[in-house]
Amino acid sequence: MSRVLLCQRDELSSGELKKVSHGAAEDICVYNLGGTFYATSDMCTHATASLAEGDLEDHLITCPVHWGQFDIRTGEAVTFPCEKHLRTYRIIVTDKEVYADIEHASDAALADA
Amino acid sequence: MDNCKHIPLRTIESTPSLPNLDRVCDMEEGRLSGKVFWDQAIYEQELEKIFARCWLFVAHESQLPKSGDYLATSMGEDEVLVVRQKDASLKVFLNACPHRGNKICFAEAGNARGFICNYHGWSFGADGGRLLGMHESKCYEESNFDKSKHGLREARVATYKGLVFATFAADAPTLEEYLGPMTWYLDVMLDMDEGGSEFLGGCIRSTIECNWKVAAENFVGDILHGGWTHDSAAKAMLGGPVANVGDLPESYSVNWNGHGYEFATDVVGNAATLGEKDINKYLHVLRPQVAERLGEFRSKLIGSISSFTVFPNFSFLPGQNTVRIWQPRGPHKIELFTWVIVNKNAPQDIKDKWRRGAMMTFSPTGVFEMDDGENWEYCTKTSRGMVTRYQDLYVGLGMNTRIENSELPGNVFKGQLNECNSRAFYQRWKDLLQSPTWADVPDRNGKMR
Repeated sequence: MSRVLLCQRDELSSGELKKVSHGAAEDICVYNLGGTFYATSDMCTHATASLAEGDLEDHLITCPVHWGQFDIRTGEAVTFPCEKHLRTYRIIVTDKEVYADIEHASDAALADA
Repeated sequence: MDNCKHIPLRTIESTPSLPNLDRVCDMEEGRLSGKVFWDQAIYEQELEKIFARCWLFVAHESQLPKSGDYLATSMGEDEVLVVRQKDASLKVFLNACPHRGNKICFAEAGNARGFICNYHGWSFGADGGRLLGMHESKCYEESNFDKSKHGLREARVATYKGLVFATFAADAPTLEEYLGPMTWYLDVMLDMDEGGSEFLGGCIRSTIECNWKVAAENFVGDILHGGWTHDSAAKAMLGGPVANVGDLPESYSVNWNGHGYEFATDVVGNAATLGEKDINKYLHVLRPQVAERLGEFRSKLIGSISSFTVFPNFSFLPGQNTVRIWQPRGPHKIELFTWVIVNKNAPQDIKDKWRRGAMMTFSPTGVFEMDDGENWEYCTKTSRGMVTRYQDLYVGLGMNTRIENSELPGNVFKGQLNECNSRAFYQRWKDLLQSPTWADVPDRNGKMR
């Protein structure tokens, strides 16, 4: 299993998100939504844009450039112009840290995301 | 522009000024030709040398309370967006995409995180106007496109006590220099009460088929028409004729840099035309506080018979509290945007009465505005005649009535039945059309008759 450290458990408050760059693969965006962590690809599937610069409202991340939206739990593209689903990552939470398992999508992920 | 240095702009040289402007506008002699209301070539020069250059009214701060609030308006024929920023400052952007020029915002006002062009998906942040991204962004990246070099074209912005002005001229003087001592008189409307002023919600929109200067000049210094043009309207609203302005004991016309204000010192002469007694009462009750705040003299102007134009096209009437911008739409048409301005701290029922009074008097259905509209349209339309166009119109009333050593600020003239402000307005108009840059614009203050 290939893990990437995303953040400390106490680093993001609920509703906060951040971009994590690492050497192994694409940038990841990590979200804390009501104490539950989620991770997706940081790059919008429509055009060049960092989702970490977007607005998180409930489970929807709004892209800062064309205002398309994804469900961060499943990666589903829900609002135009986003039509291709977003890649998600399985989260591993330890005592103090939050990791992404970059070989696996989240359990709720849509099959083609 | 001071505040968008990141965007390299290719500018164009000023075009040559037109010949014969001295023939059609001779303010030494108080003579004008209707050609200035009709001619397309003159109009093009105005767009370049006046509207793309002067400080223009774009908003009142009360219209944009929150971050992301925006409104669409125009500076001359240039459509712009006024946007409240995250740091509470205001920015003004062209409402046109820097890719193919398409309009990017079709709403009149609202709150937005940004603006996305309908054509190719160029996206701009409401905060800063930077280009955030494009549809098919990978293709741009393959051609080494630098997003930071593109963004919404930004104007310079400055405010005076709630009024927001903007200019596209990097070499324009500061707003403070542009307004000069006229701010002393603007304070009567904007600063008579400690809470300052606000615009009531909603905007009255109309069109009049007249040249923009006819309307602006009417407000810069023409109460002369009041007793004659508005006789029947005044009888309807007041139950009697307009006060005989010539009989008022003390009145003045003042101007500076083409701005002008003509006023009596009768406290509520304008306000009375609204037919709302409670408004007169409100002003009379407020007046002692205004006297403490602004002095006895200015407390007599808070609703008096008066009118004001800030050059070129922003005007208001104290007392009626109607504020308007005459937007040029070709030489023969204006789009008129009218708001009602009130003291923020005024009671709600007084604000409502002002709104109603303004609608009854100075709106498309208002009894005074209808009188003016027809006159202004025919001052414009008769000029289509080639002989009529060159007729020497008389703008000489009040020549040689300047008061030397007046204690009042600005260029002060005796009496409000006086065309000195109109002469100063048209002189400024001609000076701008004849000046390649702001540095060439002559200073006429203290020198005109």
